[in-house]
Amino acid sequence: MASRAELSNFLAEVERRAFKQALFAVRDEDAALDIVQDSMMRLSEKYGEKPAEELPLLFQRILQNAIRDFYRRARTRSERFTSLTAFEGDAEDPTDPLETIELDDDINPFATPHAALLQAETLSIVEEALQNLPPRQREAFLLRYWEGLDIAETAAAMGCTEGSVKTHCSRATHTLAAALATKGIRP
Amino acid sequence: MNRMRDREEQFARQVCHVLDRGTEGLDHGIAERLRAARERALQHQHVLAVNPAIVGAGGTALLTGGEEKHPLRTLLLILAIILGMAVSYYWNGFEQVDQNETIDTELLADDLPPKAYLDPGFQAWLSHYAQSAR
Repeated sequence: MASRAELSNFLAEVERRAFKQALFAVRDEDAALDIVQDSMMRLSEKYGEKPAEELPLLFQRILQNAIRDFYRRARTRSERFTSLTAFEGDAEDPTDPLETIELDDDINPFATPHAALLQAETLSIVEEALQNLPPRQREAFLLRYWEGLDIAETAAAMGCTEGSVKTHCSRATHTLAAALATKGIRP
Repeated sequence: MNRMRDREEQFARQVCHVLDRGTEGLDHGIAERLRAARERALQHQHVLAVNPAIVGAGGTALLTGGEEKHPLRTLLLILAIILGMAVSYYWNGFEQVDQNETIDTELLADDLPPKAYLDPGFQAWLSHYAQSAR
């Protein structure tokens, strides 16, 4: 069973990324904060007695469900709901930036002197590109790579097959690379 | 295929590195609201709470830490112990009555009349019989 300290440490470690995940999805700070707060409360109330190692996957399932609930409520509330799949067309771009990327090593290429000067701008562009991803691609990408879940865990959190996770992740990566390339960022 | 997957993963790691920088520079107000939300959530942590006073009932825990904080609980426990003792005493009384009843029944049902046990001659004969039987 997770102790109070373990649960506290886990939430402290994950809360900022959770907020960003929710923000990318709902694009509203207050709504994103509400989603994270509800998710933390639900984890604590319902699963506080679970072992600490089960908390990451449980929390991500709760968070993703909360985000999906927000979408459902938004759809029923307003007909002005704008499609979040507007940028899916990017995947049809015949030139794939990943095909031409030459990565020399594992060092983050965003951290070049020029990019360092434009760090804030780079972050803004990357976050905007993520926001513009189709929801399922973004969800898969963030869970798999940012949260560090493996493919099976990502599939469990998303409620889909492992094959779908691989497809979403691959498409997300290519779409992101293309979107960043149009802004002059080539990793 | 593997080369493409390696590139994808490497690119993803780089993107996540940038995203990490974004969380580090999160607005102070938002960070504070997240911290407050975390504190509220922790207050509602569901745990299978174990009350030390209950664990220590009849033991030392109740009579040490819990006594000062929960005098009513201590009083109830003492009453429960007294009640238990009374029930035990009453129950033992019933058992004694049962034993006496069995002895009376056997005496009355025996061929030997009860008065024989009060006869000195019979007592002397029993004593003599017991010695000769050895």
